[in-house]
Amino acid sequence: MEQYSDRLDGIFVALSDPTRRAVLGRLGKGPASISELAAPFDMALPSFMKHIRLLEGNGLIRTRKSGRVRTCTIEKKPFAAVESWLSAQRAIWEGRTDRLERFALAKTREQST
Amino acid sequence: MNPTPNPDLDLTITRIIKAPRSIVWNAWTDAASFEQWWIPEPAKCKVISMDLRPGGALVTHISETGGRFEPHMNASFLAIDPLERIVFTDALVAGWRPAENPFMTAIITFEDHPSGTNYAAQVMHKDRAVRDTHEKLGFYDGWTTVAAQLARLAEAQASR
Repeated sequence: MEQYSDRLDGIFVALSDPTRRAVLGRLGKGPASISELAAPFDMALPSFMKHIRLLEGNGLIRTRKSGRVRTCTIEKKPFAAVESWLSAQRAIWEGRTDRLERFALAKTREQST
Repeated sequence: MNPTPNPDLDLTITRIIKAPRSIVWNAWTDAASFEQWWIPEPAKCKVISMDLRPGGALVTHISETGGRFEPHMNASFLAIDPLERIVFTDALVAGWRPAENPFMTAIITFEDHPSGTNYAAQVMHKDRAVRDTHEKLGFYDGWTTVAAQLARLAEAQASR
C-alpha cells in the first residue's frame, strides 16, 4: 500500500518548480532536445541541466544521447499514478470484495449440501 | 455511525453478498479463510497474526511468485463488534504502538439483508504525499489539473 505514496513524493518534488512543469508540459507534446527545451528560459545551461537531471532521477523523463544531441522523452507511468492513486486503492479493495464474495458463496453452497 | 467520507482520500465499497452474515464474518475472521481471498492469485497470503480484539495484531506476509514470504501488512484492530463491524488500521501496530508509515484505516461492516449480507468497506487514507508535500512545498492550487493534463498528454503521446 505504501508504494503509491512513495512514488508520489518524487513526482511532487519534480512538479514543484515552474521550469520543470513547463518542461514536462512541452514534453507532453512529444520528445525534444535539451537545446529546444532550454530555449524559452533565460537560464544558464548548467542550471537548466539540474532540472533535467532531477526529472530524470525521479523517473519522469528519459534522455538519450545521439551524437551531440540529447533527446528527452516523457515517462507516462508516474503521471498515471498521480491521477489514480485513489483509484488504484479502490481497485485493490474491489478485488478483495469480489474474492470475499466468491469465497462466501462457495462456503454457503458447501453448507447447504 | 461511520465518519463522513472525504472524497479526495477515502473510498467506500458496498456489496450485497448472497451468503448468511455468519459466513461472511467467518470468511473475514478465520485466518485460514482470510488467506484465501485477501490477496489475488498467483500471490499467496499468510496470516502471521490475527488477534481479534482492540490493539490486537493483524499481520500478513505475501509471496508474490510462490517463493519466499515477505512482510505485507502490519496493522492492528481498533474495534471488533462480533458479526457487525471490524475496524483496523496500519497507523498503529499491535498493542497500540504508533506505526512508522501510517496510511489507512478501514471500517468493515456486516448487516443482514433480505438476499444475504450487506457488506461495506470504508477505507480512509492519510496520503502523506498528496497532502503534506502539497503544503510543505507551497504548491500552487492547480497541481491536480496539471498532473491530470500531463497524464493525458503523455498517454496520447504513448499511444501514437
